[in-house]
Amino acid sequence: MTVSVASDTLHPRDAATDEEFRATLREFLATQGPGPRPRDPGERVAWTKAWHAILVDNGYAGPSWPVEYGGMDLPFNRQVIYQEEIARAKVPGPLGTGLGIVAPTIIRYGTEEQKQRWLRPMLRADKVWCQGYSEPGAGSDLPSLRTTARREGDEYVVNGQKVWTSGGLLADMLFCLVRTGTPESRQKGITYLNIDARTPGVTIRPLKNIAGGKGFAEVFFDDVRVPVENRIGEENEGWPLVRTSLGHERAAGAMNQAAAFRRILTELVSLAQERGLTHDPLVRDRLADFEIRVRLIRYNAERVIAGIMAKGEPGPTSSVSRLMITNFEQELNEFAVDLLGPEGIIDKGSDQAVQRARWLQGFLLTRASSIGAGTAEIQRNTIAEQVLKLPYDPGMPPR
Amino acid sequence: MIGGLTEEHEELRETARRFLADKCGLSQTRALAEAGASRDDAVWRQMAEQLMLQGIAIPEEYGGAGFGPVELALVLQEMGRALVVAPYFSTVALAGQALTTCRDERARAHWLPRIADGSITATLAVADGTGEIDARAVETVAARDGEGWRLSGTKRFVIDGLSADLLIVAANADDGLGLFLVDGSSAGVQREALPNLDLTRPLATVALDRVDAVRIEDDAATVVAKVADLVAVALAAEQVGGASAALEMAVDYLKLREQFGRPIGSFQAIKHRCADLLLEVESAVNAVNAAASLLAVGDPEGPIAASVAAAWTSRAYTHVTKENIQFHGGIGFTWEHDAHLFLRRAKTSELLLGTPAHHRARVAELAGI
Repeated sequence: MTVSVASDTLHPRDAATDEEFRATLREFLATQGPGPRPRDPGERVAWTKAWHAILVDNGYAGPSWPVEYGGMDLPFNRQVIYQEEIARAKVPGPLGTGLGIVAPTIIRYGTEEQKQRWLRPMLRADKVWCQGYSEPGAGSDLPSLRTTARREGDEYVVNGQKVWTSGGLLADMLFCLVRTGTPESRQKGITYLNIDARTPGVTIRPLKNIAGGKGFAEVFFDDVRVPVENRIGEENEGWPLVRTSLGHERAAGAMNQAAAFRRILTELVSLAQERGLTHDPLVRDRLADFEIRVRLIRYNAERVIAGIMAKGEPGPTSSVSRLMITNFEQELNEFAVDLLGPEGIIDKGSDQAVQRARWLQGFLLTRASSIGAGTAEIQRNTIAEQVLKLPYDPGMPPR
Repeated sequence: MIGGLTEEHEELRETARRFLADKCGLSQTRALAEAGASRDDAVWRQMAEQLMLQGIAIPEEYGGAGFGPVELALVLQEMGRALVVAPYFSTVALAGQALTTCRDERARAHWLPRIADGSITATLAVADGTGEIDARAVETVAARDGEGWRLSGTKRFVIDGLSADLLIVAANADDGLGLFLVDGSSAGVQREALPNLDLTRPLATVALDRVDAVRIEDDAATVVAKVADLVAVALAAEQVGGASAALEMAVDYLKLREQFGRPIGSFQAIKHRCADLLLEVESAVNAVNAAASLLAVGDPEGPIAASVAAAWTSRAYTHVTKENIQFHGGIGFTWEHDAHLFLRRAKTSELLLGTPAHHRARVAELAGI
């Protein structure tokens, strides 16, 4: 399945114009695409990995990454084009959560040896990276984490537990925050450590989510020996690395997220129409409200992108975009279930389920939207403090 | 894709903001409102002569600055932010945009330069009963009288209807809907103030009894439909400005006011609500900018974007102004504090010229729901 790039052709990023870049990418995605999605979960993983290898080997992966590690190093406007075309082609996204989180950290703070060792295999999905930040006792208050790493010669000995590890069952590598300082050291005693998931003493157990899926896991460390060379940055200096991002790559992805919500709403409207519900003024009013918000989500994404292009700053809209999306997707899925009435509660085990219970599943799964990657409450605190400059809560530990 | 604002736009915004902060502070607003005045004459002249604000969206050939809905939206944001007492919205956003939208060269050449130089004020009256820009709800009748026309009917909720020099009036003629120019001081025009919630923007009931009128030569229904979208965005722009000002007023107070030995803005119960308000206001800013940009280039998405902006911004503005009063506690409930002036403007604007429910219904229709 591997297609190699001819050595005399230009790198795709070097297209003379944006239009040519878009056309070349679109052509590539149309002709080299991964084909139909296998139904078997195991086959699907292999299919996804094969697709990401094709992308990397042809120079079509890592839009914001440096070229030497397999990326494209695109200017921001072409990153937006890239994301639009990827969304349009409906090709599978990455496995694990490493690309947006640990990869920028490695790129900015890793040693040359670490970059060589980790980045390309991550991009090709040869190695799946998953996150080990949260613990049973450290969620919103992440600086209170207690998984310890004790230095012994050229190794750390890690003990403790991580939880809510998305994609954990597929993990080859875990990017973790561990306590190397005193138990009370909070942010000042945290180290960023990447741990091979196959190391003896690592146990990964599936956690069933409220929808019955096994998408995430808990991870136990029992005297796990990790080479010091797996540490990013210095000992006890991991905390400032946590929020590293690469330029504005997340903003570039906002447009395709907006497009995805647009599709979902259009599908819900079709369902409501098929069932003859759109004559009801209350239904129309709710659907109109979602129509308004799905457009605002797009306008917000456009504003952020325009701000970055004009001033290099995403502006305050970027801070509220996620909250807007959280509210939207939770309310949309619940409304869809409500719209179906009693049929809305038929789950996917039944052949009577409407559209394989996608809305019911969505209703359950979008609970995570206001919990994962920072709860909505913490997001609101951050918006209030960092954008509106409201004073910190004096009862909270110092940041 | 909607472009961001250019440096010229930022400059325009800054200039207008500085001018209005200097000349039209809230104490001035209050003084004019309490005196029942429609404007400060000197400020109105300076707006036209020094800043060309009345002519911002009027073509250069008629003495304007030659810009369009995007720039007008920027100015209106500043007008809304300062809660300016002046017939700017009626003269520029209503009458001015009606005249720039129509193709009647004689009407344009006669009236647009007078609006641009600040020498006249004007307003627009379409739906008799509700004041909305809705061609289907026109009841006033136009009868031929030699070369001219005579109008009879009663227009309610006419913005600045008491003081406007020129009234642009929709009426049904024997050959269909028409737009007519009426001199506000003509015989048969009876204008009566309509006391209402908003202390800073006068409304009037205008009764017309066989009043002399000149017809605007164009397809009135088409003009009215286009103007309805332009006006929806213009009002939303003004609302966004007011909402931003009210949110800033709230945040400033929350940083200063102390209870339990700490600024009340440090409490989560307050912070979370402020974050939600910022979400609403930021999205409203973007909705207005998007809609104005789409209308400016005649994009087919313009009309739906206009209703999106109107529906969202109306609710956001009212929400922010209610929270602003709540955050201020007892002081926010006093007549002397300015917080209620914004609540009054917000709720009034929400219900004038098309309610949020009206705009949501229109979004549903235009989106094919």
